[in-house]
Amino acid sequence: MRTTSRGLIAALALTPLLAGCFAPGDGDAGTGTGSGGRLRVALAVPPVQALSPYSNDATVLSKLSVAEGLTALDKNGTAKPALAKSWKQNGDTTWTFELRKARFQDGTELTAQAVVNALDHAGAAKPKPRVLSDVSLTAKADDADTVTLTTKSPDPVLPLRLASPALAILSAKAYGKDGAVSPVGTGTGPFELTRLSGKTKATLDRFDGYWGGKAKAPGIDVSWIADGTARANALRGGETDIAEWIPTAQAKLLDDKTRHEVPSVRTDSLILNTGSGLFTDAGLRAAARKAVDGSALVDSVFGGYADPAQGLFGPAVPWAAGKRVPVTGRTGAATAAEVRTDTKGRTLRLATYTNRAELPEAATVLQQQLEKAGFTVKQDVREYTQMEGDLLAGKYDALVFSRVTLLDTGDAVDYLASDFTSDGVYNIAGLKDAAVDKAIRAAAAERDTAGRQEKIMRAEAAILRTDAVVPLVHEQAVQGVADGVEGVILDPRERSLIDVDTHLK
Amino acid sequence: MSLAHAPAAARPSLWPAAAGRVLAGGALLGAVALLPWLSGADPARTVLRARSADQNPTPAELAAVRGQLGLDEGPLVHLAHWLGGLPRGDAGVSWVSGAPVMPQVGTALSVSLTLMLGAFAVTALVAGLVCARTVFLGARRRLRQDRAGTTAAVLASLPKFLLASVLATVCGVWWGWFPSSGWEGPQSMLLPSLALGIPSGAMLGGLLDQALPAAFHEPWARTAYAVGLPPGRIARNALRRTLPGVLPQLLPTVVALVGGAVAVEKIFNIPGLGRLSLDSAVAQDLPVLQTATLALVLLGVSAGVVIRALRHALLGRTLRDGALPALHRPSLTVPSSLRWITTGCALVLLGLVTAGLLRDPLQVDTAARLLPPSLDHPLGTDALGRDLLARLGHGALRTAGVALVVTAVSALTGLLLGMAPRASAGPTEVVSTLPAVLAGLLIAGVTGPSVWGAASAVCAVGWSPYAAQTAALLEQERASGHIAASVALGAGRLHLLRRHLLPSVVPPLLRNALLRLPTTVLVLASLGFLGLGEQPPTPEWGRLLSENQPYAELAPWTVLGPAAALVVLSVLAVTGSVRGRGKGA
Repeated sequence: MRTTSRGLIAALALTPLLAGCFAPGDGDAGTGTGSGGRLRVALAVPPVQALSPYSNDATVLSKLSVAEGLTALDKNGTAKPALAKSWKQNGDTTWTFELRKARFQDGTELTAQAVVNALDHAGAAKPKPRVLSDVSLTAKADDADTVTLTTKSPDPVLPLRLASPALAILSAKAYGKDGAVSPVGTGTGPFELTRLSGKTKATLDRFDGYWGGKAKAPGIDVSWIADGTARANALRGGETDIAEWIPTAQAKLLDDKTRHEVPSVRTDSLILNTGSGLFTDAGLRAAARKAVDGSALVDSVFGGYADPAQGLFGPAVPWAAGKRVPVTGRTGAATAAEVRTDTKGRTLRLATYTNRAELPEAATVLQQQLEKAGFTVKQDVREYTQMEGDLLAGKYDALVFSRVTLLDTGDAVDYLASDFTSDGVYNIAGLKDAAVDKAIRAAAAERDTAGRQEKIMRAEAAILRTDAVVPLVHEQAVQGVADGVEGVILDPRERSLIDVDTHLK
Repeated sequence: MSLAHAPAAARPSLWPAAAGRVLAGGALLGAVALLPWLSGADPARTVLRARSADQNPTPAELAAVRGQLGLDEGPLVHLAHWLGGLPRGDAGVSWVSGAPVMPQVGTALSVSLTLMLGAFAVTALVAGLVCARTVFLGARRRLRQDRAGTTAAVLASLPKFLLASVLATVCGVWWGWFPSSGWEGPQSMLLPSLALGIPSGAMLGGLLDQALPAAFHEPWARTAYAVGLPPGRIARNALRRTLPGVLPQLLPTVVALVGGAVAVEKIFNIPGLGRLSLDSAVAQDLPVLQTATLALVLLGVSAGVVIRALRHALLGRTLRDGALPALHRPSLTVPSSLRWITTGCALVLLGLVTAGLLRDPLQVDTAARLLPPSLDHPLGTDALGRDLLARLGHGALRTAGVALVVTAVSALTGLLLGMAPRASAGPTEVVSTLPAVLAGLLIAGVTGPSVWGAASAVCAVGWSPYAAQTAALLEQERASGHIAASVALGAGRLHLLRRHLLPSVVPPLLRNALLRLPTTVLVLASLGFLGLGEQPPTPEWGRLLSENQPYAELAPWTVLGPAAALVVLSVLAVTGSVRGRGKGA
């Protein structure tokens, strides 16, 4: 048996060699234990572009208070000062922003020139960050701490736009020649990103030169755990202090004290394809709308962590409820018998995707509701990227869809325009309705905040009248926060999580 | 087919095998490089989606991405560019992140290899435990009764992801003995290794356990016992006789875990190669996907070569000189308990199906969600209030049927290919480490979503264990004296095949196939997210397990039912086959 023992020795010798590869690039295990008041955070979406602000990763920078924009959003979704201490509008297209005294984490001063540089890079990024997709922005430094921003066409929501994490101001060092952007040590926030290890871990230390005072926590250790159950496990096992987005199936397993639900700006709805197939018939759409009851999903599929749908905008959009316009002039619903004759034996192709665990379950509940109303339903459930092309090509009759209603700009018009106007790029419903287009255009042109909100709600009613979309529920996000942590921000927009005041008791 | 006895002196040429490896690896890499063009899914769209989930796919943005990635140049330019960089150790940059590919794949590969070694240790241990009794009794010549291998069948049919969930919850969260997730040191290696190694070990142990009695039955063992050699010596030699037939199974069972342990990697948050390649495949991030595939191909081929060398070293000169006695099972008495187990399993399944078929598997009742077992719902209800007994019963025939057909097709393909060992060695090694998901993606790209897509994808990769097994057993059988005698007596190829070769290959092959049956069920279900296979809400055992997995802790009965059903099916298949053999002998 000489050969096998040799093999065994080789295998044994190989083990420690390979065992050197734990937690790539993370040598010192000492910092990972939450010692000395450091916060341990488990985030859900691993970085795709090394935390570049022009990608999905942008929100990480704002969640962990690494980088800031000129403005920030307050609870009601209006702009508040951040790196700009004040601003004023000089004309239709020109705004001036006064900068505050602040330092970048690499020691350089925040200057107007730095802001211009950062905004120029954002504008030149390819593909363009979503927040700049419908606007062209020119920045000019007036003096050391004054920046003038000019837009090509009037942009009433510019201050909201600037709060987007994609427009975070980083120091000149952050912008590489090849278009890559590195937030490591280049932000202005209370926490400095000191190391990023692949897609698994990041280390943040307190930045003592923060303009808003020293953060209470000495640092943050971030780990990315994509699987929701694993995130919940990490929190329950005491391996992390904060775990975001606990899946509803796991939420019940958490202690009451650690479970914090927050209304999210995500609305789940049933999109009916008005462009082709079964639901070009308004009567059938109305029948589907009548058959579908989203409130049945709240306690079952969502385990209570959702609110029954009020419209497109839920409780996370505080002004929506007070300004809601009743929907009138809807087509009458076809009866079950009429549905059977009108569908002429055609099957309703009901699509949804697996990326959000609740959606396939919701689709099954809806299937039963629709079948009761006389439809014959066939599901198609796949990974989102596997079906996006088909969705936009209108290959399905209905889609159970989860959508963020306040996108980067924090302004609802953006969502309405891309999803429901005739030329909207994300118009899965295939809606081409002159009244809807007009209502959305009117909202987009309105500059006064209150007036804009009213017009948005009028557009909502116009959209709902067509039955192209049946809102089901407004999701709630469940954030897991261990008992000893104070000052975690529960933000419906999922842009903030930790700031200067967050700390361990 | 080279069925005839190879002259002992002539060393077989290495060229066909090498050519087979290069061709198979090249074909796979070519298919991967063509993936976006095959599937018709615009990589610009998938890459944009991966970079920024809420970005509107406007034509201008898509054009920008397309320009950035140079997609208009077509697949060949890309492939050439990527291949050109490889000699310099440059595998290009990721389409999604823009970061160099080589370090990413290198790190993920080393993580996965470490995990694989851990799983291998557990596999060896479990396999040892499974056949410990046979070794102990055999070495002391007290082996009278045949064994059904029920334990092996039960352990082998445990779903790895379920085992992983349970271990993470119990040992990680409840007891806090080990970290529930992460990859930070040897302590985070234990739980995933157990989850991966226990079913694999049971599978290999089950195969070894069935092969061992034949070795103990050989004349040398009797002589050794008679002259009083210690049992340990006899056991060692018996293992040395039987291991070479089982070793090739390490490739599809253990080495394949490097790329194929996605579910376990997710549950334990391990940054391994499985997740990396799946993510890159979904985002159509070709440079990463190609490099990961290349790594898997190289790993498969080198592991294949090592295993081959190990087998030859174990068998030694006897193989080369054609002096290997054939392994033939002694006729052992079939234990009477076996009949009871088989009948019991059959009755349970029959009862399950009959009781289930009388109920409605699709009736959603949101008020009755996650109810524990009761008179109304003997197996409880799932998260949508559907009756689990009904879902199990309705899913039984479809699940077992599809899994049996897939297994039969795979085993037959494997048997045929294994008969041409030199030509098929390359494809077998390459396919062994190929994750079924990747095959599924390629199939979905060509055919689009389809009911039969999952079955074809699993068939496309599922034959490799059987081909490896056939090739190994045939090689040993051909080197045995009685084949030489038959040839000398003028036996033709067909006669050799029918009377000598197949009878020695088919029984172990059958056992292997039956032990792999539960895995097939799970793999079939794991392709659902690509739109392959039956769409929900059709009940199917694999789907029942995966859709209820999140509720495993809150409502354990939602996964216990389907898992137990799978175990019963597997035990029935394995014990049934032993009883069949007992009658035949």
